[in-house]
Amino acid sequence: MNSMGLALAIIGAACASLFAGIGSAKGVGLVGEAAAGVVSVDPNKFSKVLILELLPGTQGLYGLLTAILMLRKIGILGGEVASLTTAQGLMFLGAAMPIAIVGLFSGIAQGRAAAAGVGITAKKPEHNGKGIIMAAMVETYAILALLVSILIINNIAV
Amino acid sequence: MKTEYASAVAAVKAMESTLMTQNDIEQLINTSTKSERQAFIDSRNGDVKNISDVWDMLMTFASDSKELKILLYRNDFHNLKAVLKAMISNRDPEIYYVSPSNVTLEELKKAFRDKEADILPEHMRDTARSAYELLTRTLDGQLSDSLIDCAALEAMQKSAADCGSEFMKRYAALISACADIKTAYRCSKMGKSRQFLESAVCGSSELDKEALIRSALSGVEALYDYLKKSGYGEAAELLKENPAGFEKWCDDVIMELAADARMQAFGVEPLAAYYIAKEAELKNIRIINVCKESGTAREIITERMRKLYV
Repeated sequence: MNSMGLALAIIGAACASLFAGIGSAKGVGLVGEAAAGVVSVDPNKFSKVLILELLPGTQGLYGLLTAILMLRKIGILGGEVASLTTAQGLMFLGAAMPIAIVGLFSGIAQGRAAAAGVGITAKKPEHNGKGIIMAAMVETYAILALLVSILIINNIAV
Repeated sequence: MKTEYASAVAAVKAMESTLMTQNDIEQLINTSTKSERQAFIDSRNGDVKNISDVWDMLMTFASDSKELKILLYRNDFHNLKAVLKAMISNRDPEIYYVSPSNVTLEELKKAFRDKEADILPEHMRDTARSAYELLTRTLDGQLSDSLIDCAALEAMQKSAADCGSEFMKRYAALISACADIKTAYRCSKMGKSRQFLESAVCGSSELDKEALIRSALSGVEALYDYLKKSGYGEAAELLKENPAGFEKWCDDVIMELAADARMQAFGVEPLAAYYIAKEAELKNIRIINVCKESGTAREIITERMRKLYV
């Protein structure tokens, strides 16, 4: 069994959940800060700002999903641990990169957009939907990255 | 990426909805009694009764902001003037003290009583010492006032440059330019000397100090010409027609700056903009109250209303 290949694959899984998780944590934290500011003035707006706060949280979930798929494929989760060559390990590491990197940056960017959307909700609650749409646009790129990561994982022959 | 004061900016945006609109101002002008006006103002303002309440709210979110403190420099230096003069003439300075301020009345009193200027913020220490020395030596209140006013503007511009905020730099430059124009205009009308003008005009990135002094010494027409050449043609026209209109123009220029800053989602700018907007709103209320009490015509009150933020 080539332990280097397996190690690279595990590093890939860790990167997927780590960086996408950091992106989400930063994004959700920023929106949470803004949301707390609004709720301190008008507690009735809690439910509206909560939707915006949830938006940047998805990148972390995508990272987790990618990591689970990889760990299942290499047999760490259920089944027998696969024997991976270094090239296969690098393929898994490469597969993790789209969601790891895009997840990190899109989580932060979506947090900024959603925090700005909190400003719309604060001032004009009736236009809350516009703030949600603008923040949700950033999600597109996280979904595309997740898709690429899944396609690569599924097509790596183990 | 700048994401400072996300919480404060969001809170301020929530409060912007309580700022008075053009429609509210018109309704206020149409009220007939003082109690009617007060009831209307109370219904709009909620917990925010005065500018000190606004400041306290901003400080709960952004107490570490050096930029916001610049907004109070004029109050700080006004209080310095008031306390200095009151103490020299053995009067109680409390009635002249304006809030909010970065320096408490007790600190100012202690600074002069115990000759301990070091307890004041750094930007006020030298001015406090010089003004005290000047006033006790000459007993010329006007001279010490002009020294303190000029120092306030210089301190604003220096602090704004030090903190690096483009918004605060522009704010300080515009406030200084407006103050310098007013000083130059008055001095020109009163035939003040070059020596006085040099001590009273502070200078800014907007207007060249030497050229402004030279034009003011040559007469008001030369001053108008210089202002026109420097991009302050509108200000010159207003000064010619009606100095009160110029005062309104100065406030409106600052409000235009604030209106641009409110578009930002993060940073200190929307907080400063809200404070400026609230100041203008309270000024409008004061003007309406005074004008209504003195029976001023509706059209004139409308003409005097400062530009609104919303």
